[in-house]
Amino acid sequence: MTKKTLVFYPGCIMQTEQYSYEISLREILPVLDIKLVDVEGFSCCGEPLKSVNRMITLVLSARNIALAESRNLDIFTPCPICNLAFRECKNILDNDDKIKEKVNGFLAEEGLTYNGISKVIDLLELLYDIVGLDYIKKHVKKPLDLKAAVHYGCHAIRPSEIGRSDDSEEPRKIEDILEVLGVEAPWYPEKLDCCGGLLNMNLPETALTKTGEKLRSIQEQGFDLLVDICPWCHRQFDSKQKKSGETVAYSLNLPVVYLTQLMGLAFDIPWGKLGFNLNLSPVNTLVEGR
Amino acid sequence: MGILDLTSMGEPQVDVKREIIGQLERLQDEIPEYCYQCAKCTSGCEAHRLLELEPHRIIALLKRGLIDEMVNSDIIWTCMSCFKCWERCPQKIAPVEILFLLKNYAVALGKQIPGNYTAALQSVLSKGLIQDVKTISTRTGETKSRRDVGLPEITKPVDPVKFQALISKMAVEKI
Ligand code: SF4
Ligand code: SF4
Repeated sequence: MTKKTLVFYPGCIMQTEQYSYEISLREILPVLDIKLVDVEGFSCCGEPLKSVNRMITLVLSARNIALAESRNLDIFTPCPICNLAFRECKNILDNDDKIKEKVNGFLAEEGLTYNGISKVIDLLELLYDIVGLDYIKKHVKKPLDLKAAVHYGCHAIRPSEIGRSDDSEEPRKIEDILEVLGVEAPWYPEKLDCCGGLLNMNLPETALTKTGEKLRSIQEQGFDLLVDICPWCHRQFDSKQKKSGETVAYSLNLPVVYLTQLMGLAFDIPWGKLGFNLNLSPVNTLVEGR
Repeated sequence: MGILDLTSMGEPQVDVKREIIGQLERLQDEIPEYCYQCAKCTSGCEAHRLLELEPHRIIALLKRGLIDEMVNSDIIWTCMSCFKCWERCPQKIAPVEILFLLKNYAVALGKQIPGNYTAALQSVLSKGLIQDVKTISTRTGETKSRRDVGLPEITKPVDPVKFQALISKMAVEKI
């Protein structure tokens, strides 16, 4: 029985390169009775352009929400950056009819109207609050015996003023989900450190230094892997792990996986169906023999 | 539609500049009442150690009205948008938001937009997405497209002309 049907908003980075996130989401959510509806016509959420012009961000977010609203469904935004943009947009438009009217004047060019009827849901809210730990637990067939470092990513937990799905200083939802999968996820000092991802736009070397420094500390502390939920962070930690290791002159070999990939493994979905061949970090150790 | 028309939000940029500077000046009036200069924002700033960004100093400069100095400095472009300064400020001042405004103002003044922002902006304006869909590599070096890995077609603006009309309307009329 379908528990909830949601419009799937993939955002740019996931759908243009972070395929293992999308593959694993599309694989595990049906198991949890969540149905995703694909909608034609989405654009960038606008958040990466906020430094250039905040109004572009607002209008692009409103445009995407309006498009999703035409389906009368809530919107699922697995990328925390898109989610933040949409929630901020809703906070502004739902509380200011004048701006809303103005924005709708622009959206009319494409025959769209922003109403504010759809909720915007991120991965943590979906898994933890809508699906729930008990329901996830029911589907765990092969508990994983691993010790993971968790990386939430800045946008998933801050700024709380805009409304995030977990605590800004002591987030716990990923750890709680991991526990259900049999994965131990102890606190570590660098847990809330930024991956540097957004600096890729103008200072890519520094971005890689941030990434490499965090990966090095995690590796030195003896974790089996790093678990993340943001395509921007994952691109740094996994896709660019080799480069970031070179940047900090350290030999990095830390498996990095999306939470959704790990859930799939625990659900006993074959790893070939979870995009594990696309992780560039050494995830072999996690999937060998499965 | 050239990138300049859009980044400048239509010539001669006067309205956008006036609007942003108005917002900055309002903040300049309000913030002295609130900011303790306790530097808690800076103590957790992700760009502090590597790039020497000091959000509390940004607030201090704003208080003193040194907006031009900041707009002309690369330092405003070192923020990683981690939002820690906003989250942790005892007065709920958001240095990160002030930095966004300063960067927007720099762009509106026609200063050089750094790094990949220009390409990202151009890509969004022409195709709706921040970058083209990529053929990616597996761990063993094979290349894979979305189709190869069983994913559906990407979602993107169906009619780029109408999409661009929306953005240019916004650029001309502003909010
Ligand atoms: S902005 Fe907030 S945290 Fe920073 S110095 Fe002022 S009061 Fe302190
Ligand atoms: S948002 Fe920017 S200014 Fe604020 S703490 Fe993070 S990097 Fe520093």
